Amino acid sequence: MRIVTLIFAILIASISIVSGQGIGSPGTIKDDGKFAASTKQLNQFFRRFNGEESPTDGNVRYYPGDKDYHSTPLRNGFLKILFDNQTSSVNQDLKTQFSDSVLSPNYPKYLNFHREGWYSEVQAIFLYKGKRETATIILKIQPEGLGYEWVIDEVSFPPFKDIFNKPVGDSKDFLHPLSHELGFMNLRRAFQDSKRPESFTESSFKPDYLTLFLYEMKQNNLRYETVTDVKFHFFQIEGWYFEVQQFNRPGFNTGWLISNLVKLNPGDKETIQKYIYDQN
Amino acid sequence: MKNIMILFLGLFLATSASVLAQSETISPARKQAIDSLALEKVKDLSKYISIIGSKETQFSEANRVMDRAEELFSPGAEMGVSSINTNEIAYYKVRRYFERLMALNYDRVNITWYDIQYISDLERQPDGRYVGVVTVFQRFEGTSIETGMNYKDTTKKDITIYVEKKQTQIAGRTIEFWDVMLGDVRVTETSA
Repeated sequence: MRIVTLIFAILIASISIVSGQGIGSPGTIKDDGKFAASTKQLNQFFRRFNGEESPTDGNVRYYPGDKDYHSTPLRNGFLKILFDNQTSSVNQDLKTQFSDSVLSPNYPKYLNFHREGWYSEVQAIFLYKGKRETATIILKIQPEGLGYEWVIDEVSFPPFKDIFNKPVGDSKDFLHPLSHELGFMNLRRAFQDSKRPESFTESSFKPDYLTLFLYEMKQNNLRYETVTDVKFHFFQIEGWYFEVQQFNRPGFNTGWLISNLVKLNPGDKETIQKYIYDQN
Repeated sequence: MKNIMILFLGLFLATSASVLAQSETISPARKQAIDSLALEKVKDLSKYISIIGSKETQFSEANRVMDRAEELFSPGAEMGVSSINTNEIAYYKVRRYFERLMALNYDRVNITWYDIQYISDLERQPDGRYVGVVTVFQRFEGTSIETGMNYKDTTKKDITIYVEKKQTQIAGRTIEFWDVMLGDVRVTETSA
């Protein structure tokens, strides 16, 4: 019993030593507040947006039952610093409307890491047939096994854009409606004579660029090089869309911040998603 | 003494290991204990980086420290490095990163760390292990006497941590405990 008490005493002592020391002691540099103010991880963006951490340095994590957990004044303060206030064109009136909606006393809104309605857009460079090309990759979180994983939802790749260009109207080739009576011997028009075999597909045909992308990779025609940019798109707050990007610059308004905010009218969400996914 | 404390910390985590394995969330108290263990590892890494980068460290000693530093990481971990001048990321295996640090052509190197750090929530992976990210800030200063060149930068280091349940034998009994390993590290030059 005494040993258990001793272990706990040492454990508690060790924890307090850790939190008091900082990373690099001795010779630690004191932060002038810039790094504390910076939204250093997207995780911190979630915490601040929801009001789940202490306001100064974020070292105290608030949990359900804590006095300040999800507190409106705390969230109001955080929301002000979660916008890119230096370069973004989002006007103050729109920000206020957004804050009012998020902090509504009757129906406050929160972000949820595990829920659908947000995803990442990644710019990555690949070597494709000897040439450097940038691909836009859309990733989202999904449950898998005992936890969660990021998965590739879609890819947009400029070299694929012109491969499928289905003609319309009179210029479109076709298989006549009695082709079946000849055992489809005229399939040669689609697969041998035509340079645009996609002309012979159904009206709703849409190329699956991700499958094509993976196929080219398996054929060793595509080689990954590096990531150049990451941003996040959020549709979780009902009636609103916003974009989060990382700002690496001097000052206090840095890190992961809202760079774009749109109040959604009917149909806007689909239009924005179509634009982001870029599958046309 | 420090190793004993880490062992005690591990044993403390072991007492609630079975509960953790079954639940999807980690209690705040347990999370704090895991955070402390993770910070210990990150502090070890920062200490090793300072020793490897120092010009006063002999070659054989630097190699020994590199071995110790490598042991903090899970196999295959990489450092992804970018500067303000380019948005492209260069990738190095951990060992290669340390070797490049050791080979920097300065007469005097001073590596210090800011007193601020940020530890993310822990998320569970498909394989049941937990993953988190610790963010720290490093100040580098290199001086070359011959050229009079003085290079300074501040980098943000986002360090992956894997939290995993392991087993050990103590006095013939199998004890389960939670261990922390470091993973990929993203190194970003900041404008600070």
